[in-house]
Amino acid sequence: MTATVTPASARPSSPAAARGVLRVFAGHRGRLLCAGTAVALVLGAVFLGGGGWPASLVADPSGPLDRAGDWIVDNRDGHPLFLYFLGHISNAVVVSVRAVYLALLALGWAGVTAAAGLVAWRVAGVRLALTSVAAIAVCGLLGMWVPTLQTLALMVVAVAASVLLGGLLGLTAGLSDRMGRILRPVLDTMQVLPAFAYLLPVVLVFGIGVPAAVLATVVYAAPPMARLTALGLRGADAGVMEAVASLGATGRQRLLTARLPLARKELLLGLSQSIMMALGMAVIASVIGAGGLGDRVYQALASVDVGAALAAGVPIVLLAVVLDRVTGAAGERLGAAPARRAGTGWAVALVVTAVVAGAGRLSGRLSWPDGWTVDIAEPVNGAVDWMTAHLYSGVPLVGGTADWAARFTTWVLNPLRDGLQWLPWWAVLLTVGALALLIGTWRTATTAVLAMAAIGALGVWDPALDTLSQVLAAVAVTLVLGFALGVAAARSTRLGRVLRPVLDVFQTLPQFVYLIPVVALFGVGRAPAVAAAVVYALPAVVRITAQGVLAVDPAALESSRSLGATGRQQLFQVQLPLARPALLLAVNQGVVLVLAVVVIGGLVGGGALGYDAVFGLAQGDLATGLVAGAAIVCLGLALDRVTQPTERRDLARKGA
Amino acid sequence: MTTTPHTAPPRDATESVFSVRDLWKVFGPKAERVPADPELGALGATELRERTGCTAAVRDVSFDVRKGEVFVVMGLSGSGKSTLVRCLTRLIEPTSGTIAIDGEDVLSMDSGRLRELRRHRAAMVFQHFGLLPHRTVLDNVAYGLEIQGVGRGERRERAAEFVTKVGLDGMEHRRPSQLSGGQRQRVGLARALAVDPEVLLFDEPFSALDPLIRRDMQEEVVRLHREEGRTMVFITHDLNEALKLGDRIALMRDGRVVQLGTPEEIVGEPADEYVRDFVRDVPREQVLTVRSAMRPALAGEYEAGPALAPTATVHEAIEAVARTGANARIVEDGRCLGVVDHAGLLGVVAGVPVTTGRAVA
Ligand SMILES: Nc1ncnc2c1ncn2[C@@H]1O[C@H](COP(=O)(O)OP(=O)(O)OP(=O)(O)O)[C@@H](O)[C@H]1O
Ligand SMILES: [Mg+2]
Repeated sequence: MTATVTPASARPSSPAAARGVLRVFAGHRGRLLCAGTAVALVLGAVFLGGGGWPASLVADPSGPLDRAGDWIVDNRDGHPLFLYFLGHISNAVVVSVRAVYLALLALGWAGVTAAAGLVAWRVAGVRLALTSVAAIAVCGLLGMWVPTLQTLALMVVAVAASVLLGGLLGLTAGLSDRMGRILRPVLDTMQVLPAFAYLLPVVLVFGIGVPAAVLATVVYAAPPMARLTALGLRGADAGVMEAVASLGATGRQRLLTARLPLARKELLLGLSQSIMMALGMAVIASVIGAGGLGDRVYQALASVDVGAALAAGVPIVLLAVVLDRVTGAAGERLGAAPARRAGTGWAVALVVTAVVAGAGRLSGRLSWPDGWTVDIAEPVNGAVDWMTAHLYSGVPLVGGTADWAARFTTWVLNPLRDGLQWLPWWAVLLTVGALALLIGTWRTATTAVLAMAAIGALGVWDPALDTLSQVLAAVAVTLVLGFALGVAAARSTRLGRVLRPVLDVFQTLPQFVYLIPVVALFGVGRAPAVAAAVVYALPAVVRITAQGVLAVDPAALESSRSLGATGRQQLFQVQLPLARPALLLAVNQGVVLVLAVVVIGGLVGGGALGYDAVFGLAQGDLATGLVAGAAIVCLGLALDRVTQPTERRDLARKGA
Repeated sequence: MTTTPHTAPPRDATESVFSVRDLWKVFGPKAERVPADPELGALGATELRERTGCTAAVRDVSFDVRKGEVFVVMGLSGSGKSTLVRCLTRLIEPTSGTIAIDGEDVLSMDSGRLRELRRHRAAMVFQHFGLLPHRTVLDNVAYGLEIQGVGRGERRERAAEFVTKVGLDGMEHRRPSQLSGGQRQRVGLARALAVDPEVLLFDEPFSALDPLIRRDMQEEVVRLHREEGRTMVFITHDLNEALKLGDRIALMRDGRVVQLGTPEEIVGEPADEYVRDFVRDVPREQVLTVRSAMRPALAGEYEAGPALAPTATVHEAIEAVARTGANARIVEDGRCLGVVDHAGLLGVVAGVPVTTGRAVA
């Protein structure tokens, strides 16, 4: 296993290609680190012995956790903390979600459709207005009208709250250096944690239900808003701020008339990222009682009913695409010419919505007409059955999808998992530390090692390594495919052009929906979870790689060309080494994104930590769930820190 | 290049708007000790940075800006001009020294009083415009008034007036991003004018503009000054701009004022080698007035030859002398102050002392 830490010792005689790639990942510290690790491994073997995490080092937290859970359940109706604080929050959430939901219902399907179209028209133009109307109509057609409204209601409340919360946090972080320094690492860390990790603490406090779902969504969606608000406020043009001060503006005036408006691009970007994160979480939170579209997918996946899952998944995809496009277009419009008569446009939109909604009411058709639905579940399931019969196995030459999954499990996942679990625990810690040091700094290495040790101490060493094995397999596949595609996209403008819209769409989709096609193709198990993770993480890796390779200084490339380098030599000796920061970032993002989905894979038979978390939630066994959740957090931290480049770049991050 | 003969002397030489004494601005840790310690204060820039980690941007500067004059601060990049002008309204807090505006101490003002100063008494025009990108031209011009709390209708009305004044009619509803550099600076100028300040401060307002636009804008400033007689402090690194606009020029080097005087004094009597080097390429005949080439009139010269005003440039005198072939008389209020002849004029152009010259001047 030390093979992973020894890239720097690659012999000079190895082919140029391999050397180039290895050089990308090896700093000058590489050799030293390897030697140190090797010595430590030998010493460790002599003094500590091998085997998994020693039982004596486990601090089993389930006893206290059970007690805490019981205490909360017992006191939820009586204790002042719940009566006067948490209870009010919970009630407020329920009331506001209900109010939005009822308002949407009262608008009727015609009113909601009209409102969606007109809002899109005002902020993003006619084309997106038509797209929105079509998307909403498809939601109705698929028989998902009510779940769509439920999800929308939950999202409206959650987005409003997280924009408020994130905006306030961002305001303090943007205006006060101290708060900025404190909040930054917290927000950074929150953004790399898998969505699943957020579910358990809120369930512990609020129990399963809409309040927990909304609050988890708020907490998950607020960090991007806070980050971007702070970024925007800090980035205000110093020249403009000086001019404003020179006119004698008060602190308040400076903030309201200059700093905030100057940050409006970032604020809007924060809003749009918050919306996308909220959608992703609102769907996942079905596991803790969010209801709506996510719940339909969740139920369907539980009974491996791909047709039903798809019927609910398509509206999710459409919502994601429409929301992303509309907010994106709104951002682009910001810089453009001032919209004359903007007020009139909004007035028209309002009046038309009211008229349409009124007409809908008068005609007594508020809910989506039953006759206008298409049942796709059955035909889809038919198709899936056909696939199961014909594609799962025994296809001549290529084998079948189930065969692939089985082989991947047998030949890759099992050996990897068994190997990791066979490794002495201290060897794992050492490797983690050495890798983190190789890429990052002492600080990241320390955090990573401590996080891994915490997993052992929590007593979930083996399931965590199981999850880790899935992550490693998925990351390996993602990086091979992602680097190849990314480099290809950077070197061929045509491929780049073809890929961009595809990546755009794939980057907007919530993690949850990736489970549907893989279950259809591969059934349930660990292999499908890995496949979903690969598909989810691939777009970000491809994009960051392509951007990194494209950003390589043309002068360096030109000079190498003038020395007569072949295309291959240029790629391996100039472009990839120079794109090292971007490639490292791609690895980091790949790891973070893969982990998020591998954990969710617990829902489709991925087992390990994800399953523990789901099991804990489903069975009300909060201790198991919380321990798994904490381990997920630790694993996320460790994986992020191990792959965290010294200077983290704010390149395109996929929602996370 | 033609110099505009607008060297109208300040109406009352003793009445100063800004009065700056012993001003220091030092950037860096524990900056106060630099002005306090004469030894540190005497160090060169690199030595000071090595010893203390500080940069002295403004060193021991004193000057007065008189009412109605255009006071130009000129110097090379990094000489401390921007820092100096920002100290005047405490956009940068000075390290030591005193600044008074109309006799009132600026450094002891509380924040309310300081805001009052910035709102009504001194308005600034910036090199990089500092316009608000999300506002229209009209709202940018009205911004200063908005800050003061002037109602929407009134401020728009007044802003529209200044938009016209700087020649931006018809562009009221554009955004800054839709304007050229010159037009943007006109907006900046209008914004400063709209608050009707006592002093206008310009920090290299035209450096980012191309030469033709720059000349237009300079003429705009000259016109404004002629029409309104507003006091101006004008920062520039362009000697020609300084000579063209300035009633008096302070020449800065490494934070110090090395010479303060009228354009004629700067060009005619450079205080040291540095200034001499600086003004070497200036066409002297266009800056210096005939006074510098004048000699006392001999008997019989009082009546003959073309008459010139004492404010006329040597360039004009050469033209007159060349055209008529006779020596020119310098006449003020019907009285002949002296005459200029070929030798005197050539001496000025060549930059060599004229033996016959300076006697009367
Ligand atoms: N905030 C600051 N911190 C530290 N040093 C500064 C700061 N602002 C200016 N300086 C230094 O003070 C000196 C004078 O700077 P200033 O901007 O006043 O020069 P300038 O004459 O306006 O130059 P330019 O023509 O380039 O605008 C420079 O050496 C500069 O590096
Ligand atoms: Mg400057």
